[in-house]
Amino acid sequence: MGHYIKLYFLCIKRSIIAKLEYKKDTLIALFSFVIANLCSILSIYFLVNSIPALSENGNNWSIYQIGFLYGFSMIPVGIDHLFSDEFWLVAYRRVRNGTLDPVFLRPAPIMFQIFAETFQPEGFGELIVGTAMLILCGFNTSINWSFPLIFMLIVASIFGAIIITSLKIIFSGLAFVFKTSGPLLQVVYNFISYTKYPIGIYPYFLRAMLIFIFPFGIIISYPIQTLFFGNVYSWLNPWTLSLIIVVVAILFFFIAIVSWSLCVKKYESTGS
Amino acid sequence: MIELIHLTKSFKKPVRKPGIIGMFTSLFSRKYTVTTAVNDISFKINDGEIVGYIGANGAGKSTTIKMMCGILNPTSGKVLLNGVEPYKKRREIAKSVGVVFGQKTQLWWDIPLIESFVVLKEMYQISDQDYEERMEFLKSTLGISEFLHQPVRTLSLGQRMRADLAAAWLHNPSILFLDEPTIGLDVLVKEKIRQAIKTMNNKYHTTVILTTHDMEDIENLCSRIILIEKGGIIYDGSLKDIKHKFGDAKTISVPYFGDYDITSLDDFNQKVKYELKDEHLLIKFNAGQVPLENIVNYVFHHLHTQDFVISDINIEDIVKEILAKEENHEKI
Repeated sequence: MGHYIKLYFLCIKRSIIAKLEYKKDTLIALFSFVIANLCSILSIYFLVNSIPALSENGNNWSIYQIGFLYGFSMIPVGIDHLFSDEFWLVAYRRVRNGTLDPVFLRPAPIMFQIFAETFQPEGFGELIVGTAMLILCGFNTSINWSFPLIFMLIVASIFGAIIITSLKIIFSGLAFVFKTSGPLLQVVYNFISYTKYPIGIYPYFLRAMLIFIFPFGIIISYPIQTLFFGNVYSWLNPWTLSLIIVVVAILFFFIAIVSWSLCVKKYESTGS
Repeated sequence: MIELIHLTKSFKKPVRKPGIIGMFTSLFSRKYTVTTAVNDISFKINDGEIVGYIGANGAGKSTTIKMMCGILNPTSGKVLLNGVEPYKKRREIAKSVGVVFGQKTQLWWDIPLIESFVVLKEMYQISDQDYEERMEFLKSTLGISEFLHQPVRTLSLGQRMRADLAAAWLHNPSILFLDEPTIGLDVLVKEKIRQAIKTMNNKYHTTVILTTHDMEDIENLCSRIILIEKGGIIYDGSLKDIKHKFGDAKTISVPYFGDYDITSLDDFNQKVKYELKDEHLLIKFNAGQVPLENIVNYVFHHLHTQDFVISDINIEDIVKEILAKEENHEKI
């Protein structure tokens, strides 16, 4: 175990050295990230301002509450982004062009090596913007803070990130079977952006998908709704919601490990 | 010890018609073609041997190597490295195996070479003392110290290949797989790499399996060669034996403009063949049967030229000849 922790940090160090080799590239990525997020925050601002009241199921969301939701949706995404960015490359490229060969030759688990391959500082961008929005909007809306609520948000951030990472592992692992699974992973990942708005505004079918299939609604929409408007269902208080998030995260991670190890056996490398 | 037992690998590929329409129809078709890249190969390699694994492009060399180092699962049959199947116990076997794929680097592209080595040291749990000793060895045999602090992407092909060999050997594997380690290199670097492989084999008793298209690699390194074609073994034995049959076959090429009489070549009792190709006269003979000296003398005195090239038979020609003999049901 100590060996893997040391190895992980060495690999992370290696990944940061590699990032520093391309300073301008990293700066441009950071810059474009800020622009992209400013645009989407502005678009929410105009959207909500032009609609007299955004209400769903009898709840009236203020602009600051929506901003808070938007900010919170970036927290688990940001955490996941820091640690598991290499899975995108597995899904899009590395299986198809055979560059995973070296990974198969080294005496460490393949999934571990892919986690250790990249530490993506861009994830800090999401965490910073998200936290800034939480603070800004949090001060402008009245929340009755209590320990269970804070506990729930922390659980939702961390275990939410685990759920996102697990889905990434599952769908990038399919690349071993289909040679590339990038577009598929992209579709699944894009479902997260639905949670930037209150889940109640969506049709029933989409809501069901966000709860039962890609459970981003459970980790982002439900906690924030609970925070502003009380329990979504009478039995779904902050404690039970936290428990559900943890159980779902463990379940998804388990599925991810099993499906990954089945898919990895299908790796065929390339002809030359 | 390496043991291959009836090893077979076939790939399933969907039948695809050309063009865009063909692409769409193939989406809904369940037809497959099966290509067998490696077909029922069995052999044993003892510890400390250097074996040349040789064949034309697409003969199945890389596929065999990939199964031997655990990247690919065989369709049937098995590989045993010291009694363990590498694709089943991938992590266990990885510590005793080193691999170089000449076509692709296994080093991290963006970082200085030394940083790659630091990661590999921890990955393979190499002790400080071993690490120091092996680095000294690698610096002196492969001369890697001159580019140790450069990012891998800035290395020339020759430097990169030396770096790859060094990285593959750093954990002192008992078995080293080298897939075309001298491809595209100049003579000096080739020589360095050969020398390093020899020293690793002598000093550390490393078993080496090597694929190459370079006849000199084979002559310099391999005591035994295994020739494959279309996924099957066509020869397994010592280099000496195969040279005796084919290796002494030489070709002398002389520029020819139709200005001298060549029918006198028939005086060598039909043991010398000749043909005209691209304004060159190609004289083919077996130096075991007709001394090279005689032919060279002939070229000097009858053709009155000193402008000629002597070349050895290459491995593709040997494969061709063996296949031709097989078709005629001759024994090799």
